[in-house]
Amino acid sequence: MANDREILREIWEGKLPICFRLDSEEVADVREPDPFYLMVPRLSYFPLVTDKVKRHFVKYVDSEKSEQEMWLEYNGQPLKWHYPIGVLFDLLFDKDEILPWNITVHLDKFPDAEIFRFSNKDMVESYFMSCLKEADVLKHRGQIAGSMQKKDHNQLWLGLQNDKFDQFWAVNRKLMETTNDTEYFKYIPFRCYLENGYKQKLVKPVGDNGSKRTLQDLLNEMFPDQPEVQIKTHGLIPPLDTPLQWLSEHLSYPDNFLHLCVV
Amino acid sequence: MSEESPADQEVHEVGDSLQSMNIAHDASPEKLKIDILLKPTGNAPIMKKKKWTVDSDKKIGWIIEFIRKYLKLESNEKLFLYVNQTFAPAPDQLVKNLYDCYSTEGKLVLHYCKTQAWG
Repeated sequence: MANDREILREIWEGKLPICFRLDSEEVADVREPDPFYLMVPRLSYFPLVTDKVKRHFVKYVDSEKSEQEMWLEYNGQPLKWHYPIGVLFDLLFDKDEILPWNITVHLDKFPDAEIFRFSNKDMVESYFMSCLKEADVLKHRGQIAGSMQKKDHNQLWLGLQNDKFDQFWAVNRKLMETTNDTEYFKYIPFRCYLENGYKQKLVKPVGDNGSKRTLQDLLNEMFPDQPEVQIKTHGLIPPLDTPLQWLSEHLSYPDNFLHLCVV
Repeated sequence: MSEESPADQEVHEVGDSLQSMNIAHDASPEKLKIDILLKPTGNAPIMKKKKWTVDSDKKIGWIIEFIRKYLKLESNEKLFLYVNQTFAPAPDQLVKNLYDCYSTEGKLVLHYCKTQAWG
């Protein structure tokens, strides 16, 4: 498994500067609220880092709306809370803009048709754990996640929620190991994002002749008609000859999936 | 078969809308259809018709709504859907993605239940 621990840490520490502003139409106070600036981990999810944002803006909206569920918008598009923050950024951030990432905060008119609600953090946790189990089905037929105890699951979740690298990786290490005398996962858990959703397929990290398969092989399989397609993840464009097994062990998000945004 | 209660009628309508959606898209070759098999787990009621054909670009949320209507669940009753009896896909996951990764013998098997079954 991962010998390149430095890389795991670099990826873990990736952060984005965000400037949150309350939608001006929702301001019910005579004063305009100040924008709220935050450095957020790319690997986290918005509901895990935006409690402070809500507390900051809630006093400026109509009191009857203050209990409503907050949602976020960038460039007219509601942000899906169940995508990792780094994925949303790589997918949506306009190349002509400069940082910080300007995000509009809403407490009214939740766009139910476009994004779904999260009633509490338990829902984020259950979605996260479900992704992790799915990834393990692909890598190890579900045997490792399935044999873990509840406390291991808790440790993964708390590690992510509290931004504790060592706590998270002490358990995640087991999910990133290979079994049965092979150096490879059965399949590589990945999602390829296009503008309106993502694609998933079964892709093996090793060819029938025993050779390591690369990112190029994956892209050829996903987009046979587009030889020039490139992807971005964690804000970088990995070389196309990167072996898939290495990519999966080192550049997966905490949910154990590679999230690849087509650029 | 001459008499149908309004409730039966409704189930047929849900079924019909599912079928007609397939027929409507027959003309476009890129619209694939996928066979799904819906199996109850735990205390969930069985569905008379278990095998359905859906457009591959349908989302899991749509299938959950479909089962809810078919079983006439109350709005406060929950419904969970599982793949491989292991994980619950997101409501915006496409049926095609799940089929491409987890189908067996040309079918995608989905287990449904009214309480959280796995994880």
